[in-house]
Amino acid sequence: MSTTIHNAPASRSAAGARHSLSFGGVLRSEWIKLFSLLSTRILLVLTFAAIIGVGVLTAFVRYNILDSMAANARAQGLEPSSDMLEQSMPPGSGLDLYNLPNAGLQIGILIFGALAVLFMASEYATGMIRSTMSAVPARTPAFAAKAIILAVVSYVITTVAGAVTFLLSVPMFQGLGLDLSWSTDGVVYSVFTGGLYVAGVALIGLSLGTLLRNSAGAITVLVGIFFVIPIAAGFASLIPGDFWKYVPQYIPSEAGGRFLAIGEIDAYIDPWQGGLLFLGYVLLFLVPAMIVLKNRDV
Amino acid sequence: MIEATDLAKAYGGKTAVAGVSFTVRAGQVTGFLGPNGAGKSTTMRMIMGLDRPTSGSVTVNGLPYAQHKAPLHEVGALLDAKAVHTSRSAYNHLLAMAATHGIPKARVHEVIEMTGLEAVAKKKAGGFSLGMGQRLGIAAALLGDPQTLILDEPVNGLDPEGVLWVRNLVRYLANQGKTVFLSSHLMSEMAQTADHLIVIGRGRIIADAPVKDIIAGTRQAKTLVRTDDAQFLQSLLAGNGITVDQSEPETLTVTGLDPRQIAQVALDNSVLVYELTPKVSSLEDAYFDLTKDEVEYHSHLAGGPAGTQPQAAPAPATAGK
Repeated sequence: MSTTIHNAPASRSAAGARHSLSFGGVLRSEWIKLFSLLSTRILLVLTFAAIIGVGVLTAFVRYNILDSMAANARAQGLEPSSDMLEQSMPPGSGLDLYNLPNAGLQIGILIFGALAVLFMASEYATGMIRSTMSAVPARTPAFAAKAIILAVVSYVITTVAGAVTFLLSVPMFQGLGLDLSWSTDGVVYSVFTGGLYVAGVALIGLSLGTLLRNSAGAITVLVGIFFVIPIAAGFASLIPGDFWKYVPQYIPSEAGGRFLAIGEIDAYIDPWQGGLLFLGYVLLFLVPAMIVLKNRDV
Repeated sequence: MIEATDLAKAYGGKTAVAGVSFTVRAGQVTGFLGPNGAGKSTTMRMIMGLDRPTSGSVTVNGLPYAQHKAPLHEVGALLDAKAVHTSRSAYNHLLAMAATHGIPKARVHEVIEMTGLEAVAKKKAGGFSLGMGQRLGIAAALLGDPQTLILDEPVNGLDPEGVLWVRNLVRYLANQGKTVFLSSHLMSEMAQTADHLIVIGRGRIIADAPVKDIIAGTRQAKTLVRTDDAQFLQSLLAGNGITVDQSEPETLTVTGLDPRQIAQVALDNSVLVYELTPKVSSLEDAYFDLTKDEVEYHSHLAGGPAGTQPQAAPAPATAGK
């Protein structure tokens, strides 16, 4: 400490050149912020492992169900063909094999959503937000940079983890004589939409962190939206009459889930409609968050 | 150069800054002095565009802060020593700040060296002492080698060596032609650091003048006079804007005349004077004079209820020094 303070305080060597604020610079700044935290790096590695782990475990459960069905058929003197097994899994039954890449998706939703909340809310908690907004006084670029980085990171990690989950699960099902590969309908689609869905959840998390400025509150709301509302909707669908039966498909998690599926189901929205609806939900949080951030005192 | 015009801020119904106008000029250190809660930090946050003024406007180097193409090169600010993510190292914090403007790593190392943070640069900022946090805040403010520097209570928590360092730094920057705007509630610090003072109390500007004028002007020079015939001397001196108070028998306090003039009057009238003591007022005296009605949070020596006190009531604690 004491050795330097009497030196000339402001030499101009490296500061001489004038640089200006650019969006690329803001992106790099947010990238440094995210990855300079040890907790983030550890979390991302563990999340990658958890998505694969939970995914393979779920795949193993499905394998066991199919295996016992095949055993039952043999006990009745039938030789089960792969066609029979596939037909026993109607679309939407949850037993489809094409969506194996997304078997561990729920864990990704939870962690990337929470990480996104913290990416903004921790800046409010520590006061860092004042440094951020002093460097980027237009504010919106800083929010946009955070959004882009979160979306890209969660998309890439989820997609790669999904592909690895699928690769690890395929050999189990080939043992049953099921022809499952990258060319199976819906597999590639699942890999890419799974990443999009998690990226969307991350953007909702970022928006909640911005709106509420409080990690605990924002994560609670996020869990409410993606894990509690579906349960409530499940109860609602038990109400007699057709109306309540079809309402739950419009909640964020169901709309997003429908986006990940292929094929049409009677009285349900199509996957692309589910995707658009989910995108609408993302914007419903994102746009107010940007407006509030732009206008609120820091 | 910072120019505020009728700048006002209210939080809810409470007025924090009540329409202040002032100019902070380049090439000198301008002190921003006021009691706690007077509106110093709020004013500084409005300059930096962090708080939106309720009315009025403020520009830095001719433009509102947010409209500059390279804000960090225009203004460097230390607003809050803890405006740092606690889990990030000082080095990475500065690196992230620098990245927004494409400021090279070499400059990051330079400001770390300038502020004496080399030894702790790779440690988490959350573990920093108040003084270390101040140094990191100053390092961040200096990153862009800005034309204008805004420092909110920069010597808070610094050791004497650090205080001296800040004093030399702001002097050096002002001599380079930069605008330095520095807040404090410590008048003694301001007396040694600032050239010009803006005094604020209860959200209003009370004084805006060079430091020496504030010391000289707010309170006129007083002279303590001891004489055998206080009554007679009082009648000779009083009048024409000159006030004479008798505090004790044989003791007068004269305002408006210098000791030599008093001695001359006494000599002409053959009055014996056995003491003539000029009472030099300090910035501290001037400050208490200026702010005695403007202190928002009085201490209650008698143990009254906490909170604000009616303005008419005297403030025992503010007079103690």
